[in-house]
Amino acid sequence: MTGVVLREVVKAFGPVIVIPKLDLTIDEGEFVVIVGPSGCGKSTTLRMIAGLEMVSAGSIHIAGREVTHAAPKARDIAMVFQSYALYPHMNVAGNMSFALRLAGTPKAEIEERVRRAADMLELTPYLDRKPKDLSGGQRQRVAMGRSIVRDAYCFLFDEPLSNLDAKLRATMRTELALLHKRLERTMVYVTHDQIEAMTMADRIVIMEGGIIQQVGSPREVYTAPSNLFVAGFIGSPSMNLLAGELTEQNGALRVRGTGFDLPVPERMRSRASAAASRDVVVGLRPEHFAARNGGDGELAPIRLEVDVAEYIGSSQFLAAQVGEQHVTASVDVGPDAAPLTSGEYFFDSDRLYLFDRDSGQAL
Amino acid sequence: MFSDRLDNPAKTWMHYGGLILLAAICLMPIWVMISTSLKNEVLIFDGRPVWFFFFPTMENYEYILTRGRFDRYLTNSVIVATISTFLTLFLGGLCAYALARTEFRGRRLVANATLLVRMVPPAVLAVPAFAMVATFSLDNDLAVLIFFYTALNLPFAIWLLFGFYKQIPVELEEAAIVDGASPLQVFFRVLLPLMKSGYAVAGIFAFRIAWNEFILALLLTGRKTRTLPVGAAGFITDTGVEWGRIMAMGTLIVIPPLLFTFFAARQIIAGMTAGAVKG
Repeated sequence: MTGVVLREVVKAFGPVIVIPKLDLTIDEGEFVVIVGPSGCGKSTTLRMIAGLEMVSAGSIHIAGREVTHAAPKARDIAMVFQSYALYPHMNVAGNMSFALRLAGTPKAEIEERVRRAADMLELTPYLDRKPKDLSGGQRQRVAMGRSIVRDAYCFLFDEPLSNLDAKLRATMRTELALLHKRLERTMVYVTHDQIEAMTMADRIVIMEGGIIQQVGSPREVYTAPSNLFVAGFIGSPSMNLLAGELTEQNGALRVRGTGFDLPVPERMRSRASAAASRDVVVGLRPEHFAARNGGDGELAPIRLEVDVAEYIGSSQFLAAQVGEQHVTASVDVGPDAAPLTSGEYFFDSDRLYLFDRDSGQAL
Repeated sequence: MFSDRLDNPAKTWMHYGGLILLAAICLMPIWVMISTSLKNEVLIFDGRPVWFFFFPTMENYEYILTRGRFDRYLTNSVIVATISTFLTLFLGGLCAYALARTEFRGRRLVANATLLVRMVPPAVLAVPAFAMVATFSLDNDLAVLIFFYTALNLPFAIWLLFGFYKQIPVELEEAAIVDGASPLQVFFRVLLPLMKSGYAVAGIFAFRIAWNEFILALLLTGRKTRTLPVGAAGFITDTGVEWGRIMAMGTLIVIPPLLFTFFAARQIIAGMTAGAVKG
């Protein structure tokens, strides 16, 4: 059994149980992103893998070895902190080589490994500088370089990009993905930013309240969210969730609420019919709204009372109302269209989602 | 920093004039001490004070260095001041670290309450301290002074070092732990280099107080355990005050803390933790 395995891991701080019971298997070489709102237990999970927090119950295995009670240095991990945590009194080379010097690695090898990591991260001209003389992006790269030289089995990232500005963050995302490709190491990455999760992950772990809500590839969690939380969390802008009711009409299943009446797609039919309650939540992704019906009229009409239309280039964001409920829609009308107004719009009902209103589970 | 304010020559003169005046006020007593130590008794008690131009004599120094017990007092003072300074920094560092790193209700109160203890003047403690020492027959033991000075200095050292430790992000320690550092390595290779300024400042204060303290030393020392300030006071006799010798002793007493301060002040580097975290 390789990779990183958490088995029935429980974490409590005094009487407060932060993580009730968590099972997670991360394959060797995989890039897994743990995502969730702040306080969902994602950082705690990462710190337990790192050995900075001890588990209250359960076990952790890294590379086939049980490390539940092992010290961080015995776990063959490297970690990049949200705040970078560079040693301010050491220069870049000193920061990067610290772990190797502690381990008593021969000097020539240290130099070689630091040089290679610095080359990879384009830090070679800065090796003699102190952290305070570096820009935010450079510090970030030093923090990564510090873990790269370790050549650890598993890399842990705790929101490493959250202190960077938007542009740099996008660049670093690409660099991180590239780094993973080049190093082919197991990487566990924690973030609250679902864009980071979607763009970089092989698999996404979505957490809320210390409980894993769903594990899957970015495509899976986007196209088949397992519950209301995941549906609302993944996707930008986030999915519209409207209260509705299942009805049967002329043998066809429909979902109806104030201001809308949409056909339930064939693939959901059997499960929707079998649902315990008729009360559901309908999920409509903003990007599946359209201003015009398709050629063969397969889209379902829906009326939007538009409050604001935001121009963002090729499409427009609408803040609108369906019945009494707020929705957002992203309508692709080309860059030259006039601001959209209230009226009849269309929704691709093949792509709607249904959730049980009580349990929040997907139908 | 002042460059834009000092382009006017009149302001420059006022600025430096003010500084020179302040310096003169500070330095005058020291000059009186040094010059008096170089005068003979006749000159000292001359009705018209001689400030600068007199024929210096080394007789006061010769007397205290050859006929007094200067060497013994000096040894005692050095032992007491260095050991109590070391203990203050060591114990104070441990307390400050614990206060800075463990979360508990009323932590800040504890940290600040330590300062309250500092507000008690040593003179108030003198009588109970004397009673304690007499009860346990510990007079004539340097350990007693070391103990009291450490106790006296600890509150301030804890409070000061607490502030310094608070500034060091805990992630730095965690990063070092993940990098494979043992607790001692975390302390000596990551924390201590960043705490140098704090320890230097606390050290200067602790050393200075332990070195100069008089009342407790007077009460708690015997013939063999006297420290330098008590030794100097020995020249106040029932036949008169031997000012020349007192001042010579004072001049010599000033030198070690001066050296210590210069050495320690070199460790003070402002903004040491800059660049550790964030962009």
